[in-house]
Amino acid sequence: MTEITSAPDISRIEIPMDIWTTPFWQAAAEERLVLPCCGDCGTHRWPPGPFCPACRSQQVNWVPAGQAELYSYTILRPPGASPDEAAPLIVPGLVAFLEAGGLRIMAAIVGSPVGAVKIGAPLVLGWVPKGDTRVPVFSIDLGS
Amino acid sequence: MTRPSAAIAGVGSTPYYFRGESAPQTIYEMIGKAVIAAISDAGLEIADIDGMAFYATGFEASQIVEQLGIPELSFAAVVAGQGGGSAGILDLAAMAVETGRAKTVVCIGACQQLGRRYGQSLASLATTPEGVLSLTSGLSGPGQSLALVAQRHMHTYGTRREAFAEVVMASRAYAATRPEAIRKRPLTLEEYFAAPMLADPLCRYDFCVETDAALAFVVTSAERARDLRQKPVNIVGAVHGGKRDWGRAFFWLNQPDEVFTSSGAGAVAEKLYGQTGITPSDIDVALLYDHFSPLVILQLEDYGFCKRGEGGAFVESGAIRPGGLAVNPHGGQLSECYVIGMTHVREAVEQLRGTAINQVPDARLALVTGGPAPIPMSAAILGV
Repeated sequence: MTEITSAPDISRIEIPMDIWTTPFWQAAAEERLVLPCCGDCGTHRWPPGPFCPACRSQQVNWVPAGQAELYSYTILRPPGASPDEAAPLIVPGLVAFLEAGGLRIMAAIVGSPVGAVKIGAPLVLGWVPKGDTRVPVFSIDLGS
Repeated sequence: MTRPSAAIAGVGSTPYYFRGESAPQTIYEMIGKAVIAAISDAGLEIADIDGMAFYATGFEASQIVEQLGIPELSFAAVVAGQGGGSAGILDLAAMAVETGRAKTVVCIGACQQLGRRYGQSLASLATTPEGVLSLTSGLSGPGQSLALVAQRHMHTYGTRREAFAEVVMASRAYAATRPEAIRKRPLTLEEYFAAPMLADPLCRYDFCVETDAALAFVVTSAERARDLRQKPVNIVGAVHGGKRDWGRAFFWLNQPDEVFTSSGAGAVAEKLYGQTGITPSDIDVALLYDHFSPLVILQLEDYGFCKRGEGGAFVESGAIRPGGLAVNPHGGQLSECYVIGMTHVREAVEQLRGTAINQVPDARLALVTGGPAPIPMSAAILGV
């Protein structure tokens, strides 16, 4: 039986925001994945923060993340799960955005056959509802 | 001032306890016992202490002063940050002694995991706007984050889990003779591969032990140390720092490719070897911070014991088994005891005094590294 990766339980996680991360979550609420990019020199940065590390500008443009691929990952089985049971497989993935200079964010890799989870795999964006916003998740693009 | 001008003159430790079993002692009771033992080892008095050095947010110097009746401090400092600074306390202590700010500095490290386990420390990031950006992926501990690094190292360089197993088995082989080691039983490759996976590609054995203990080291001038009770162990070199391209380590994960698949120690290694003129082939004993087994392999690369990307093949060749390059002959944090790097300093001192349980013949120079973690990273070379 092929094991399929699951979304982590984020029901107990709260999402605090500050003025630098709020635009990310506002766009996420509309199912748009955007990344901070310096309004002066065009350098992408992560996490969102008050300065461009390349030029110290505080101007930010939020740009579409674009095509994503899996840079690295780990596979977790929730504590207490027995190896005999069909325990959910949680796969925190480090996701790289090629059009954003290779910038990486962490996101869960969900709904994918675990055997297809490989470094370099192209990814498809999805969303999981969370409070007033949504959390980005990715699945392996099996069509390519 | 040229080094070595400072030396470790005394070492003290509490017993090593499995996580939580140090209760009902408080961490300050354990620190007090370690300091008393270290001062006694050096042949000094509590009243001689006039400096303290800590790392990773440190402890309250005032509490230790009050409890132990230390009359006066003229130096008290902490290596900044949460992460890789354990060996940096020796840098601070040496600086205090070299500049005359203090004559007798105790370096203190301790951990006690009552309730909160260090391995789940990322979970506390839930309270910050930045931290939650990683937490929603399901990531909750440094081991899981560093699994991403190990995974990428395997992908880039062909490193195999057999290499991680080698690190653990070598550590266990040394721990077998250590009375206080938490995991003493030798480990076979079959047992390693039968262990449950905790964070692919890491299994249970790739994670360090969870323990409680306190250790203290007395640093004074090399000249004064020669007149004290123990054979002095010189601080030949000690550095702390690091580059922006490693930054917050597993809290950031946006390092350039080659740095991502490293232990982040490139900058401190270069500085330490540059400062001392020592090369990796001069090192007799390498005490490499081993919170997770793959990071030993990455440090072997960063500190120049093998080429970049060849760490896996290097350890699989048997290079770090007992009798080879002496890496963590105390069993390290993977098998003996985890006290945020402090047991590595203790083992370096015992090796150089010639009193170690798994003594490396005629050991003259020992490398001690701080954890692959957010900068400042740190490392020291001790010598006799």
